[in-house]
Amino acid sequence: MTTPSAPSLASSSRWASTTSVSSSGKRIHREMVELNIDPPPDCCAGPKGDNLYHWIATVFGPPGTPYHGGIYFLDITFPSDYPFKPPKVVFTTRIYHCNVDSNGNLSLEMLKDSWSPALTITKLLLAIRSIFTRPDPYNPLVPSIARLYLEDKAKYDELASEWTLRFAK
Amino acid sequence: MELQHHQSPMDVFRPKKRSNVVCRIFDRQISSGASGTSVRYTRRFYENVVPDYTIYEVECPDQIYRKFTDDGQYLICFSRNHQDLIVYRPTWLSYSCKEDCNTNDLPPKAKKFESFFSQLYCVSLASSNDLICKDFFLYTGSNQFGIFATSTAQIHDALPVGGAVQGVPSIEKITFHLLRLEDGVVLDQKSFQNDFINLAHNMGVFLYDDLLAIVSLRYQTIHILQIRDSGNLVDVRSIGTFCREDDQLFLTSNTQTDLHQGQPSSDYCFLSGIKQRLLSFIFRGIWNEESDQSSRVQLLKKKFYFHFQDYVDLIIWKVQFLDRHHLLIKFGSVDGVVSRNVDHHRSFFAVYNMETTEIVAFYQNSADELYLLFEQFGDHFHATSRNSLYLNFTSSHSNNMHAREQLRSNKNKASSSSASSQFVKKVLASLPFSCQSESPSPYFDQSLFKFDEKSISPMDRHRPSPDQHIKFCLRRKPKVLKFKMKPGPEAGSVDNRTKKISSFLFHPFLPLALSIQQSMSLQPSVLNIHFRK
Repeated sequence: MTTPSAPSLASSSRWASTTSVSSSGKRIHREMVELNIDPPPDCCAGPKGDNLYHWIATVFGPPGTPYHGGIYFLDITFPSDYPFKPPKVVFTTRIYHCNVDSNGNLSLEMLKDSWSPALTITKLLLAIRSIFTRPDPYNPLVPSIARLYLEDKAKYDELASEWTLRFAK
Repeated sequence: MELQHHQSPMDVFRPKKRSNVVCRIFDRQISSGASGTSVRYTRRFYENVVPDYTIYEVECPDQIYRKFTDDGQYLICFSRNHQDLIVYRPTWLSYSCKEDCNTNDLPPKAKKFESFFSQLYCVSLASSNDLICKDFFLYTGSNQFGIFATSTAQIHDALPVGGAVQGVPSIEKITFHLLRLEDGVVLDQKSFQNDFINLAHNMGVFLYDDLLAIVSLRYQTIHILQIRDSGNLVDVRSIGTFCREDDQLFLTSNTQTDLHQGQPSSDYCFLSGIKQRLLSFIFRGIWNEESDQSSRVQLLKKKFYFHFQDYVDLIIWKVQFLDRHHLLIKFGSVDGVVSRNVDHHRSFFAVYNMETTEIVAFYQNSADELYLLFEQFGDHFHATSRNSLYLNFTSSHSNNMHAREQLRSNKNKASSSSASSQFVKKVLASLPFSCQSESPSPYFDQSLFKFDEKSISPMDRHRPSPDQHIKFCLRRKPKVLKFKMKPGPEAGSVDNRTKKISSFLFHPFLPLALSIQQSMSLQPSVLNIHFRK
């Protein structure tokens, strides 16, 4: 396929500039370099436009899960006091998952109480990827899906793969 | 035996084709063209039968003359007040007179619109607050249904409510009317409220066989409708927020159980169905371009994530069918829809399969690859319905040597890389095609006639009125002038200051054409009838 070049230069006025010298900006930049050198498998992320604080992540649904075949896009927003506060992660692709609510908000222990400034974007990506293979039904955002996952895994798989086919292709 | 320079060696053994009509009829009795070319062979008779006689300033009703249907059965007209549809049956000139029938000129009584056309009916389509869109008309050849549109006035500064795209104007009500043209009975109607559909030159609507694609610019949805033989317009699917017809139903039935969460799901935080498909196609393409992990991340960062929002902001501009399953969709920015000069805006083309809900291909509007496909397989982009016989003979650069030569010579003129990219953009700007916008008349067949495409073309458009006659010459030897036509009064206009525009309506197979000249002032238009006496 020939890759078309982009529609237009992303407007720089919408977001904070890359040349920000704040410590959070420096930190995100360092993590970006780290990610570029040693990226985790089957997923990727990068800043949207020239705003370091607003990223897009992409995850391939892992094989062996009902999410296989899907491509999931996520919005990652870093707070200005990153890494002391965790980033916010929202799915922009619909997913049938007990840890993602009907608005796409992702709930991860790591993004809440267990957040540590030692964590990085690469580790975050790995954690996001792991929810596809190992959902956490004991801390659910959608209890009905969690219940189905625990009680009738086959039915859960069937529904989740139907969602993948319809909304994540 | 005289040889023509362009004849192939095989032609040496064939007698020279004579162009005299009597000789041609005689030749037809004793020989035929090469196998598979019989229709083309027969069409050469059009070289002898041309609309070379003009009746100037025909006495005619003051109305809007829109189009001959592609089967030549009907002439579609609208009343000046945009309220009524008036349909005529083209009949060949017939009149009777008691004396002076031997003179060369027609008697004045015969020089009337009614001598050529008989009115079938006049029906009112518009109501008190909407008007017929005179630039919109589609025809289904198989069951002789006509599709017309009426709309209320356009609101430019409409608020983007309920998921509407900001910056796209709104029309309170657009109604499509399905009519049986035989008797003018309205069979079905379909309305769109507070929406915007580009009706000019059929741009926002495409008909293929019995399938109709209507592009809602405001709500970014492609509505696919089916026209049943029974005369019903049936919703088949809508592509936009969702891809499959039952996606929404599936979603509501699956999330109902979670309503106790309090917050109902809002659709606007998620990518729309078509955008998800598009973005994942682009992402996959860039991902597969590079196998080294580290360079891949760099590439994605530069080519995908950096432009992510721009891709998300793309909107559907125009759509056409390529076949019953594939749509060619043009994406662009919101500004491009509203502005008139579309060529300067960057746009993209996607081929989308409605059945599998997959994007099959994606190109930028300056992509050489798409241009080459278009140059070589142009007719595949001209998706015409199976039933339209005459439309198979519309000249294009893919089926006509002369049209191709013209395109190639234009391409060679644009030799520098920037000019070449401009040229590709200009050519691809005609995609997706507007539905039923070309006349299938044999006089536009470039293998038969040569004409100045700047002053006349099969495209259904108004043009500045020419001062000179428009000439049609034979394409083959002896390449002589066969006929010429001129809109407006015979002696030319007395008043040269007012700008005049003219349009031509050619009958699809008879040597009959109407030329209509209008001036910007309120004077009634001048109608000339061009035919073979």
